[in-house]
Amino acid sequence: MNALDGHLHLRAVRASDGSTGLSAQSFRAPFHLSKPNWDPDAQVLHVQVVNPTAGILEGDRLESSITVEKGAALLVTTPSASRLFRMTEGGHATGRQHFEVAPGASLEVFPEPIVPHRGSSYFQETTIEAAEGSNLLFIDQLMPGRLAHGEAWVWDRLVLGLTVRRSGELILRERFDQSGASLRALAEFAGTGAGSCFANIVLLPAADDVSPSWQAEVIGLHRDGVWLGVSRLRTIGWSIRIVAPDPIRLRDTLANLRSTLRLSYPRLGCGLRRP
Amino acid sequence: MNSGPAISIDTGWMLGMLQASDSLYPTGSYAHSFGLEGMIDAGAVRDRATLRTFLLNSVLPSLRNIDLPLAAHAWRAFGARDWHAVGEICALASALRAPRELRSAAEAIGRQRAELLANVHEAELAREFLRRIKEANWPHCTAVSAALEARVHGAPLAGVIAAVCYAAIASVIAAATKLLRLGQNAAQGLLTEMVVLCPEMVGPACELPLAEIGWFNPWLDAASARHETANARLFIS
Repeated sequence: MNALDGHLHLRAVRASDGSTGLSAQSFRAPFHLSKPNWDPDAQVLHVQVVNPTAGILEGDRLESSITVEKGAALLVTTPSASRLFRMTEGGHATGRQHFEVAPGASLEVFPEPIVPHRGSSYFQETTIEAAEGSNLLFIDQLMPGRLAHGEAWVWDRLVLGLTVRRSGELILRERFDQSGASLRALAEFAGTGAGSCFANIVLLPAADDVSPSWQAEVIGLHRDGVWLGVSRLRTIGWSIRIVAPDPIRLRDTLANLRSTLRLSYPRLGCGLRRP
Repeated sequence: MNSGPAISIDTGWMLGMLQASDSLYPTGSYAHSFGLEGMIDAGAVRDRATLRTFLLNSVLPSLRNIDLPLAAHAWRAFGARDWHAVGEICALASALRAPRELRSAAEAIGRQRAELLANVHEAELAREFLRRIKEANWPHCTAVSAALEARVHGAPLAGVIAAVCYAAIASVIAAATKLLRLGQNAAQGLLTEMVVLCPEMVGPACELPLAEIGWFNPWLDAASARHETANARLFIS
Protein backbone atom coordinates (compact mmCIF):
# COMPACT_ATOMS: atom_id res chain seq x y z
CA MET A 1 0.00 0.00 0.00
CA ASN A 2 1.34 3.44 -0.93
CA ALA A 3 0.66 5.83 1.92
CA LEU A 4 0.41 9.48 1.07
CA ASP A 5 2.39 12.23 2.73
CA GLY A 6 0.25 15.19 1.81
CA HIS A 7 0.45 18.82 2.67
CA LEU A 8 -1.50 22.00 2.10
CA HIS A 9 -0.17 25.45 2.91
CA LEU A 10 -2.19 28.57 2.16
CA ARG A 11 -1.72 32.22 3.00
CA ALA A 12 -4.58 34.62 2.39
CA VAL A 13 -3.84 38.35 2.20
CA ARG A 14 -5.85 41.49 1.69
CA ALA A 15 -5.21 43.07 -1.70
CA SER A 16 -5.03 46.80 -2.36
CA ASP A 17 -8.58 46.80 -3.76
CA GLY A 18 -9.91 45.30 -0.53
CA SER A 19 -10.41 41.80 -1.89
CA THR A 20 -8.64 38.73 -0.55
CA GLY A 21 -6.15 36.71 -2.56
CA LEU A 22 -3.74 33.85 -1.95
CA SER A 23 -0.18 35.10 -1.68
CA ALA A 24 1.17 31.60 -1.20
CA GLN A 25 -0.16 28.16 -1.89
CA SER A 26 1.46 24.78 -1.85
CA PHE A 27 -0.15 21.36 -1.85
CA ARG A 28 0.62 17.74 -2.49
CA ALA A 29 -1.71 14.76 -2.90
CA PRO A 30 -4.14 13.88 -1.54
CA PHE A 31 -4.73 17.62 -1.22
CA HIS A 32 -5.77 19.55 -4.25
CA LEU A 33 -7.11 23.08 -4.43
CA SER A 34 -9.90 24.20 -6.71
CA LYS A 35 -9.75 27.67 -8.22
CA PRO A 36 -10.46 30.24 -5.47
CA ASN A 37 -13.63 32.24 -5.83
CA TRP A 38 -14.07 35.82 -4.59
CA ASP A 39 -17.56 36.58 -3.31
CA PRO A 40 -17.93 40.37 -3.72
CA ASP A 41 -21.14 40.52 -1.68
CA ALA A 42 -19.85 38.72 1.38
CA GLN A 43 -16.32 40.03 0.78
CA VAL A 44 -14.88 36.55 1.28
CA LEU A 45 -12.50 34.37 -0.72
CA HIS A 46 -13.80 30.82 -0.96
CA VAL A 47 -11.37 27.97 -1.43
CA GLN A 48 -12.36 24.34 -1.75
CA VAL A 49 -9.88 21.74 -0.65
CA VAL A 50 -10.40 18.64 -2.75
CA ASN A 51 -9.23 15.14 -2.03
CA PRO A 52 -9.27 13.45 -5.45
CA THR A 53 -8.45 10.05 -3.92
CA ALA A 54 -11.19 7.83 -2.53
CA GLY A 55 -10.40 8.80 1.04
CA ILE A 56 -7.86 8.42 3.82
CA LEU A 57 -5.98 5.17 4.00
CA GLU A 58 -3.67 3.53 6.51
CA GLY A 59 -0.34 5.30 6.84
CA ASP A 60 -1.52 8.51 5.22
CA ARG A 61 -0.05 11.60 6.85
CA LEU A 62 -1.86 14.83 6.13
CA GLU A 63 -0.64 18.23 7.17
CA SER A 64 -2.29 21.55 6.47
CA SER A 65 -1.50 25.08 7.52
CA ILE A 66 -3.73 28.01 6.65
CA THR A 67 -2.94 31.60 7.56
CA VAL A 68 -5.26 34.54 7.09
CA GLU A 69 -3.42 37.84 7.21
CA LYS A 70 -4.71 41.15 8.55
CA GLY A 71 -7.92 42.31 6.88
CA ALA A 72 -8.31 39.21 4.69
CA ALA A 73 -11.37 36.93 4.75
CA LEU A 74 -11.33 33.26 3.82
CA LEU A 75 -13.86 30.43 3.69
CA VAL A 76 -12.45 26.91 3.50
CA THR A 77 -14.73 24.04 2.52
CA THR A 78 -14.46 20.56 1.07
CA PRO A 79 -16.79 19.25 -1.62
CA SER A 80 -17.21 15.79 -0.12
CA ALA A 81 -16.90 13.83 3.11
CA SER A 82 -13.53 12.64 4.40
CA ARG A 83 -13.81 8.87 4.34
CA LEU A 84 -11.56 6.88 6.64
CA PHE A 85 -11.05 3.40 5.23
CA ARG A 86 -10.46 0.13 7.03
CA MET A 87 -6.94 -0.22 8.39
CA THR A 88 -5.01 -3.20 9.68
CA GLU A 89 -4.83 -3.78 13.40
CA GLY A 90 -2.53 -1.20 14.94
CA GLY A 91 -2.36 0.79 11.71
CA HIS A 92 -3.71 4.30 11.46
CA ALA A 93 -3.64 7.55 9.52
CA THR A 94 -2.74 10.95 10.94
CA GLY A 95 -3.75 14.51 10.21
CA ARG A 96 -2.44 17.80 11.56
CA GLN A 97 -4.14 21.06 10.73
CA HIS A 98 -3.16 24.52 11.86
CA PHE A 99 -5.07 27.76 11.37
CA GLU A 100 -3.87 31.28 12.12
CA VAL A 101 -6.10 34.31 11.97
CA ALA A 102 -4.55 37.78 12.21
CA PRO A 103 -6.18 40.90 13.71
CA GLY A 104 -9.02 42.13 11.52
CA ALA A 105 -9.03 38.87 9.53
CA SER A 106 -11.88 36.40 9.16
CA LEU A 107 -11.72 32.66 8.73
CA GLU A 108 -14.54 30.18 8.35
CA VAL A 109 -13.67 26.49 8.20
CA PHE A 110 -16.62 24.34 7.22
CA PRO A 111 -15.54 20.99 5.78
CA GLU A 112 -17.87 18.11 5.00
CA PRO A 113 -18.03 15.47 7.74
CA ILE A 114 -15.59 12.76 8.67
CA VAL A 115 -17.04 9.33 7.87
CA PRO A 116 -15.11 6.56 9.62
CA HIS A 117 -15.54 3.13 8.02
CA ARG A 118 -15.34 -0.23 9.72
CA GLY A 119 -11.94 -0.88 11.25
CA SER A 120 -10.52 2.59 10.66
CA SER A 121 -8.20 4.44 13.03
CA TYR A 122 -7.40 8.11 12.65
CA PHE A 123 -5.48 10.63 14.74
CA GLN A 124 -6.15 14.27 13.97
CA GLU A 125 -4.81 17.29 15.82
CA THR A 126 -6.15 20.76 15.07
CA THR A 127 -4.68 23.98 16.43
CA ILE A 128 -6.18 27.42 16.00
CA GLU A 129 -4.36 30.64 16.83
CA ALA A 130 -6.77 33.56 16.65
CA ALA A 131 -5.48 37.06 17.24
CA GLU A 132 -7.45 39.67 19.13
CA GLY A 133 -9.87 41.37 16.75
CA SER A 134 -10.12 38.37 14.42
CA ASN A 135 -13.25 36.44 13.46
CA LEU A 136 -13.40 32.67 13.42
CA LEU A 137 -16.10 30.09 12.76
CA PHE A 138 -14.84 26.53 12.91
CA ILE A 139 -17.18 23.63 12.24
CA ASP A 140 -16.26 19.96 12.58
CA GLN A 141 -18.71 17.21 11.72
CA LEU A 142 -18.64 13.49 12.45
CA MET A 143 -20.86 10.76 11.04
CA PRO A 144 -21.20 7.42 12.82
CA GLY A 145 -20.23 5.55 9.65
CA ARG A 146 -21.61 4.57 6.27
CA LEU A 147 -25.25 4.80 7.23
CA ALA A 148 -26.46 4.06 3.68
CA HIS A 149 -24.72 0.68 3.99
CA GLY A 150 -26.13 0.04 7.43
CA GLU A 151 -22.68 0.49 8.93
CA ALA A 152 -22.32 2.62 12.05
CA TRP A 153 -20.05 2.87 15.10
CA VAL A 154 -17.62 0.22 13.87
CA TRP A 155 -14.45 2.23 13.60
CA ASP A 156 -11.59 1.14 15.85
CA ARG A 157 -10.23 4.40 17.21
CA LEU A 158 -10.75 8.04 16.46
CA VAL A 159 -8.66 10.69 18.17
CA LEU A 160 -9.63 14.27 17.39
CA GLY A 161 -7.75 16.94 19.29
CA LEU A 162 -8.63 20.61 19.15
CA THR A 163 -6.67 23.45 20.73
CA VAL A 164 -7.89 27.03 20.40
CA ARG A 165 -5.87 30.03 21.54
CA ARG A 166 -6.91 33.63 21.44
CA SER A 167 -4.08 36.15 21.63
CA GLY A 168 -1.91 33.29 22.81
CA GLU A 169 -4.20 32.33 25.70
CA LEU A 170 -5.62 28.83 25.77
CA ILE A 171 -9.40 29.09 25.66
CA LEU A 172 -10.45 25.63 24.54
CA ARG A 173 -8.88 22.20 24.57
CA GLU A 174 -10.81 19.16 23.48
CA ARG A 175 -9.77 15.61 22.97
CA PHE A 176 -12.08 13.06 21.51
CA ASP A 177 -10.52 9.61 21.85
CA GLN A 178 -13.15 6.98 21.42
CA SER A 179 -13.97 3.74 19.73
CA GLY A 180 -17.15 3.45 17.73
CA ALA A 181 -18.54 1.12 20.37
CA SER A 182 -18.06 3.61 23.20
CA LEU A 183 -19.74 6.41 21.31
CA ARG A 184 -22.59 4.10 20.28
CA ALA A 185 -23.16 3.37 23.98
CA LEU A 186 -23.49 7.11 24.66
CA ALA A 187 -25.87 7.56 21.72
CA GLU A 188 -28.07 4.69 22.88
CA PHE A 189 -28.11 6.07 26.40
CA ALA A 190 -29.10 9.55 25.25
CA GLY A 191 -31.72 8.10 22.92
CA THR A 192 -30.63 9.98 19.82
CA GLY A 193 -30.46 6.77 17.84
CA ALA A 194 -28.11 4.67 15.75
CA GLY A 195 -27.67 7.40 13.17
CA SER A 196 -26.53 10.12 15.57
CA CYS A 197 -24.31 12.70 13.87
CA PHE A 198 -22.30 15.45 15.51
CA ALA A 199 -21.17 18.95 14.85
CA ASN A 200 -18.72 20.78 17.04
CA ILE A 201 -18.67 24.52 16.45
CA VAL A 202 -16.34 27.20 17.78
CA LEU A 203 -17.28 30.82 17.21
CA LEU A 204 -14.80 33.54 18.09
CA PRO A 205 -16.10 36.97 17.14
CA ALA A 206 -13.82 39.99 16.86
CA ALA A 207 -15.71 41.86 19.55
CA ASP A 208 -16.86 40.28 22.78
CA ASP A 209 -20.60 40.10 23.37
CA VAL A 210 -21.88 38.18 26.38
CA SER A 211 -25.47 38.30 25.17
CA PRO A 212 -25.45 38.22 21.36
CA SER A 213 -28.63 38.79 19.39
CA TRP A 214 -28.39 35.39 17.69
CA GLN A 215 -28.29 33.39 20.91
CA ALA A 216 -32.01 32.82 21.51
CA GLU A 217 -32.68 31.84 17.92
CA VAL A 218 -29.79 29.40 17.85
CA ILE A 219 -30.89 27.86 21.15
CA GLY A 220 -34.29 27.40 19.50
CA LEU A 221 -32.74 25.03 16.96
CA HIS A 222 -32.85 22.41 19.71
CA ARG A 223 -35.94 20.61 18.36
CA ASP A 224 -37.18 17.65 16.35
CA GLY A 225 -34.80 15.25 18.08
CA VAL A 226 -31.78 17.55 17.66
CA TRP A 227 -29.74 18.29 20.77
CA LEU A 228 -28.12 21.70 20.61
CA GLY A 229 -26.28 23.58 23.32
CA VAL A 230 -24.69 27.02 23.24
CA SER A 231 -22.20 27.99 25.89
CA ARG A 232 -19.69 30.73 26.38
CA LEU A 233 -16.03 29.76 26.30
CA ARG A 234 -13.58 31.06 28.84
CA THR A 235 -12.61 34.70 28.21
CA ILE A 236 -14.34 35.05 24.82
CA GLY A 237 -16.27 33.13 22.19
CA TRP A 238 -18.82 30.37 22.01
CA SER A 239 -19.01 26.62 21.86
CA ILE A 240 -21.99 25.14 20.06
CA ARG A 241 -22.61 21.38 20.21
CA ILE A 242 -25.10 19.64 17.99
CA VAL A 243 -26.20 16.02 18.03
CA ALA A 244 -28.74 15.15 15.37
CA PRO A 245 -30.55 11.83 14.86
CA ASP A 246 -29.54 11.67 11.19
CA PRO A 247 -27.36 13.45 8.62
CA ILE A 248 -30.25 15.35 7.05
CA ARG A 249 -31.29 16.98 10.32
CA LEU A 250 -27.68 17.81 11.08
CA ARG A 251 -27.28 19.45 7.68
CA ASP A 252 -30.51 21.40 8.08
CA THR A 253 -29.60 22.54 11.59
CA LEU A 254 -26.19 23.72 10.44
CA ALA A 255 -27.77 25.60 7.54
CA ASN A 256 -30.19 27.31 9.93
CA LEU A 257 -27.39 28.07 12.35
CA ARG A 258 -25.26 29.65 9.66
CA SER A 259 -28.12 31.73 8.26
CA THR A 260 -28.91 32.98 11.78
CA LEU A 261 -25.30 33.86 12.52
CA ARG A 262 -25.05 35.60 9.15
CA LEU A 263 -27.25 38.41 10.45
CA SER A 264 -24.59 39.26 13.00
CA TYR A 265 -21.55 38.26 10.96
CA PRO A 266 -22.21 39.18 7.31
CA ARG A 267 -19.18 37.35 5.98
CA LEU A 268 -20.99 34.10 6.73
CA GLY A 269 -23.15 35.05 3.76
CA CYS A 270 -20.59 33.52 1.42
CA GLY A 271 -22.16 30.52 -0.32
CA LEU A 272 -20.80 27.09 0.54
CA ARG A 273 -21.31 25.83 -3.00
CA ARG A 274 -19.44 27.22 -5.95
CA PRO A 275 -21.54 29.50 -8.20
CA MET B 1 -1.11 -4.21 76.05
CA ASN B 2 -0.64 -1.79 73.14
CA SER B 3 0.25 1.66 74.43
CA GLY B 4 0.96 3.10 70.98
CA PRO B 5 -1.02 5.97 69.45
CA ALA B 6 -4.50 5.09 68.28
CA ILE B 7 -3.81 6.87 64.97
CA SER B 8 -0.52 6.34 63.20
CA ILE B 9 1.29 9.48 62.14
CA ASP B 10 1.64 7.83 58.71
CA THR B 11 -2.10 8.00 58.24
CA GLY B 12 -2.49 11.52 59.56
CA TRP B 13 -2.91 12.76 55.99
CA MET B 14 -6.05 10.68 55.76
CA LEU B 15 -7.80 12.80 58.35
CA GLY B 16 -7.17 15.92 56.33
CA MET B 17 -8.43 14.30 53.16
CA LEU B 18 -11.48 12.92 54.95
CA GLN B 19 -12.28 16.37 56.26
CA ALA B 20 -11.98 17.84 52.76
CA SER B 21 -14.32 15.16 51.39
CA ASP B 22 -16.91 15.49 54.13
CA SER B 23 -20.26 17.12 53.44
CA LEU B 24 -19.61 19.33 56.49
CA TYR B 25 -16.67 20.93 54.67
CA PRO B 26 -18.10 24.06 53.02
CA THR B 27 -16.90 23.62 49.44
CA GLY B 28 -20.26 24.50 47.92
CA SER B 29 -20.44 21.30 45.89
CA TYR B 30 -23.89 20.57 47.32
CA ALA B 31 -25.24 23.30 45.03
CA HIS B 32 -24.07 21.55 41.84
CA SER B 33 -25.26 18.48 39.98
CA PHE B 34 -22.33 18.57 37.51
CA GLY B 35 -24.54 18.13 34.47
CA LEU B 36 -26.93 15.57 35.95
CA GLU B 37 -29.89 17.95 36.16
CA GLY B 38 -29.45 18.79 32.48
CA MET B 39 -29.37 15.12 31.54
CA ILE B 40 -32.52 14.55 33.61
CA ASP B 41 -34.22 17.47 31.86
CA ALA B 42 -33.21 15.92 28.54
CA GLY B 43 -34.87 12.65 29.57
CA ALA B 44 -31.69 10.57 29.44
CA VAL B 45 -31.50 9.98 33.20
CA ARG B 46 -34.85 8.95 34.68
CA ASP B 47 -34.31 6.40 37.46
CA ARG B 48 -31.75 4.33 39.29
CA ALA B 49 -30.90 2.22 36.24
CA THR B 50 -30.27 5.19 33.95
CA LEU B 51 -28.40 7.00 36.72
CA ARG B 52 -26.14 3.95 36.99
CA THR B 53 -25.50 4.07 33.24
CA PHE B 54 -24.78 7.79 33.47
CA LEU B 55 -22.22 7.15 36.19
CA LEU B 56 -20.61 4.33 34.25
CA ASN B 57 -20.45 5.86 30.80
CA SER B 58 -20.14 9.53 31.64
CA VAL B 59 -18.94 10.31 35.17
CA LEU B 60 -16.25 7.62 35.41
CA PRO B 61 -14.76 8.25 31.92
CA SER B 62 -14.66 11.97 32.66
CA LEU B 63 -12.82 11.25 35.90
CA ARG B 64 -10.42 8.84 34.22
CA ASN B 65 -9.61 11.13 31.30
CA ILE B 66 -9.82 14.61 32.84
CA ASP B 67 -9.98 15.07 36.61
CA LEU B 68 -7.72 12.28 37.80
CA PRO B 69 -4.84 12.98 35.39
CA LEU B 70 -5.15 16.71 36.12
CA ALA B 71 -4.92 15.98 39.84
CA ALA B 72 -1.94 13.69 39.30
CA HIS B 73 -0.06 16.30 37.27
CA ALA B 74 -0.89 19.01 39.79
CA TRP B 75 0.22 16.82 42.70
CA ARG B 76 3.61 16.35 41.04
CA ALA B 77 3.87 20.05 40.15
CA PHE B 78 3.10 21.16 43.72
CA GLY B 79 5.64 18.64 44.98
CA ALA B 80 8.32 20.16 42.78
CA ARG B 81 7.10 23.73 43.46
CA ASP B 82 6.90 24.00 39.69
CA TRP B 83 4.58 27.02 39.55
CA HIS B 84 4.83 27.33 35.79
CA ALA B 85 3.44 23.80 35.47
CA VAL B 86 0.74 24.56 38.06
CA GLY B 87 -0.38 27.55 35.99
CA GLU B 88 -0.48 25.48 32.80
CA ILE B 89 -2.57 22.81 34.51
CA CYS B 90 -5.02 25.42 35.83
CA ALA B 91 -5.46 26.91 32.35
CA LEU B 92 -5.83 23.48 30.77
CA ALA B 93 -8.39 22.42 33.37
CA SER B 94 -10.53 25.43 32.53
CA ALA B 95 -10.12 25.07 28.75
CA LEU B 96 -11.12 21.40 28.90
CA ARG B 97 -14.64 22.31 29.96
CA ALA B 98 -16.43 24.00 27.10
CA PRO B 99 -19.82 24.31 28.87
CA ARG B 100 -19.71 27.37 31.10
CA GLU B 101 -21.63 25.81 33.99
CA LEU B 102 -19.32 22.82 34.30
CA ARG B 103 -16.31 25.13 34.10
CA SER B 104 -17.73 27.56 36.65
CA ALA B 105 -18.58 24.74 39.05
CA ALA B 106 -15.00 23.44 38.97
CA GLU B 107 -13.63 26.95 39.39
CA ALA B 108 -15.93 27.93 42.27
CA ILE B 109 -15.35 24.74 44.23
CA GLY B 110 -11.63 24.83 43.50
CA ARG B 111 -11.38 28.39 44.75
CA GLN B 112 -13.28 27.62 47.93
CA ARG B 113 -11.14 24.58 48.70
CA ALA B 114 -7.90 26.48 48.18
CA GLU B 115 -9.10 29.33 50.38
CA LEU B 116 -10.17 26.93 53.11
CA LEU B 117 -6.72 25.42 53.08
CA ALA B 118 -5.14 28.81 53.44
CA ASN B 119 -7.55 30.19 56.03
CA VAL B 120 -8.66 27.21 58.09
CA HIS B 121 -5.55 25.07 57.87
CA GLU B 122 -3.26 28.10 57.61
CA ALA B 123 -1.23 26.20 55.02
CA GLU B 124 1.69 28.19 53.64
CA LEU B 125 1.63 26.27 50.35
CA ALA B 126 -2.01 27.21 49.87
CA ARG B 127 -1.26 30.86 50.59
CA GLU B 128 1.55 30.79 48.06
CA PHE B 129 -0.79 29.19 45.51
CA LEU B 130 -3.47 31.81 46.12
CA ARG B 131 -0.95 34.61 45.78
CA ARG B 132 0.34 33.26 42.48
CA ILE B 133 -3.09 32.42 41.07
CA LYS B 134 -4.19 35.99 41.76
CA GLU B 135 -1.07 37.54 40.27
CA ALA B 136 -1.14 35.45 37.12
CA ASN B 137 -4.95 35.32 36.85
CA TRP B 138 -5.00 31.54 36.55
CA PRO B 139 -8.42 29.92 36.80
CA HIS B 140 -9.18 27.79 39.83
CA CYS B 141 -9.96 24.10 39.41
CA THR B 142 -11.26 21.37 41.73
CA ALA B 143 -8.67 18.80 40.70
CA VAL B 144 -5.79 21.23 41.28
CA SER B 145 -7.14 22.19 44.70
CA ALA B 146 -7.50 18.52 45.59
CA ALA B 147 -3.83 18.04 44.72
CA LEU B 148 -2.99 21.07 46.85
CA GLU B 149 -4.92 19.57 49.77
CA ALA B 150 -3.00 16.33 49.34
CA ARG B 151 0.34 18.14 49.43
CA VAL B 152 -0.67 20.19 52.46
CA HIS B 153 -1.80 17.07 54.34
CA GLY B 154 1.12 14.97 53.11
CA ALA B 155 -1.04 12.54 51.18
CA PRO B 156 0.44 10.23 48.57
CA LEU B 157 -0.69 10.39 44.93
CA ALA B 158 -3.06 7.49 45.49
CA GLY B 159 -4.65 9.49 48.29
CA VAL B 160 -5.54 12.45 46.10
CA ILE B 161 -6.79 10.17 43.33
CA ALA B 162 -9.05 8.34 45.76
CA ALA B 163 -10.33 11.61 47.21
CA VAL B 164 -11.14 13.06 43.77
CA CYS B 165 -12.93 9.87 42.74
CA TYR B 166 -15.01 9.70 45.86
CA ALA B 167 -15.95 13.38 45.91
CA ALA B 168 -16.97 13.43 42.25
CA ILE B 169 -19.09 10.30 42.40
CA ALA B 170 -20.65 11.12 45.77
CA SER B 171 -21.53 14.65 44.64
CA VAL B 172 -23.44 13.41 41.59
CA ILE B 173 -25.25 10.76 43.61
CA ALA B 174 -26.09 13.26 46.32
CA ALA B 175 -27.62 15.53 43.68
CA ALA B 176 -29.49 12.55 42.27
CA THR B 177 -31.20 11.91 45.61
CA LYS B 178 -32.79 15.36 45.28
CA LEU B 179 -33.68 15.03 41.59
CA LEU B 180 -34.85 11.42 41.31
CA ARG B 181 -36.83 8.96 43.37
CA LEU B 182 -33.72 7.43 44.83
CA GLY B 183 -33.56 6.21 48.41
CA GLN B 184 -30.53 6.39 50.67
CA ASN B 185 -29.83 2.68 50.44
CA ALA B 186 -30.02 2.72 46.67
CA ALA B 187 -27.70 5.74 46.62
CA GLN B 188 -25.18 3.97 48.84
CA GLY B 189 -25.45 0.85 46.68
CA LEU B 190 -24.56 2.86 43.60
CA LEU B 191 -21.75 4.66 45.40
CA THR B 192 -20.32 1.34 46.54
CA GLU B 193 -20.50 -0.10 43.04
CA MET B 194 -18.76 2.91 41.49
CA VAL B 195 -16.08 3.28 44.15
CA VAL B 196 -15.09 -0.35 43.64
CA LEU B 197 -14.28 0.50 40.02
CA CYS B 198 -11.98 3.38 40.93
CA PRO B 199 -8.73 1.53 41.71
CA GLU B 200 -8.41 0.26 38.15
CA MET B 201 -8.55 3.86 36.89
CA VAL B 202 -5.66 5.03 39.05
CA GLY B 203 -2.74 3.64 37.04
CA PRO B 204 -3.82 4.86 33.59
CA ALA B 205 -4.94 8.22 34.96
CA CYS B 206 -1.63 8.86 36.72
CA GLU B 207 0.34 8.06 33.57
CA LEU B 208 -1.70 10.06 31.08
CA PRO B 209 0.39 12.85 29.49
CA LEU B 210 -1.00 16.37 29.64
CA ALA B 211 -1.47 16.43 25.87
CA GLU B 212 -3.74 13.39 26.05
CA ILE B 213 -6.06 14.68 28.76
CA GLY B 214 -9.63 15.18 27.62
CA TRP B 215 -12.89 13.41 26.93
CA PHE B 216 -15.84 14.03 24.70
CA ASN B 217 -19.52 13.70 25.51
CA PRO B 218 -21.54 16.02 23.25
CA TRP B 219 -24.84 15.04 24.87
CA LEU B 220 -23.64 16.05 28.33
CA ASP B 221 -22.16 19.27 26.95
CA ALA B 222 -25.36 20.15 25.10
CA ALA B 223 -27.52 19.33 28.13
CA SER B 224 -25.28 21.37 30.41
CA ALA B 225 -25.39 24.31 28.00
CA ARG B 226 -29.18 24.13 27.90
CA HIS B 227 -29.32 23.99 31.69
CA GLU B 228 -27.79 27.50 31.72
CA THR B 229 -31.01 28.94 30.32
CA ALA B 230 -33.52 26.48 31.79
CA ASN B 231 -36.68 28.07 33.14
CA ALA B 232 -36.51 26.10 36.37
CA ARG B 233 -33.61 24.40 38.03
CA LEU B 234 -32.57 23.17 41.42
CA PHE B 235 -28.80 23.21 40.97
CA ILE B 236 -26.33 25.81 39.73
CA SER B 237 -24.84 23.29 37.29
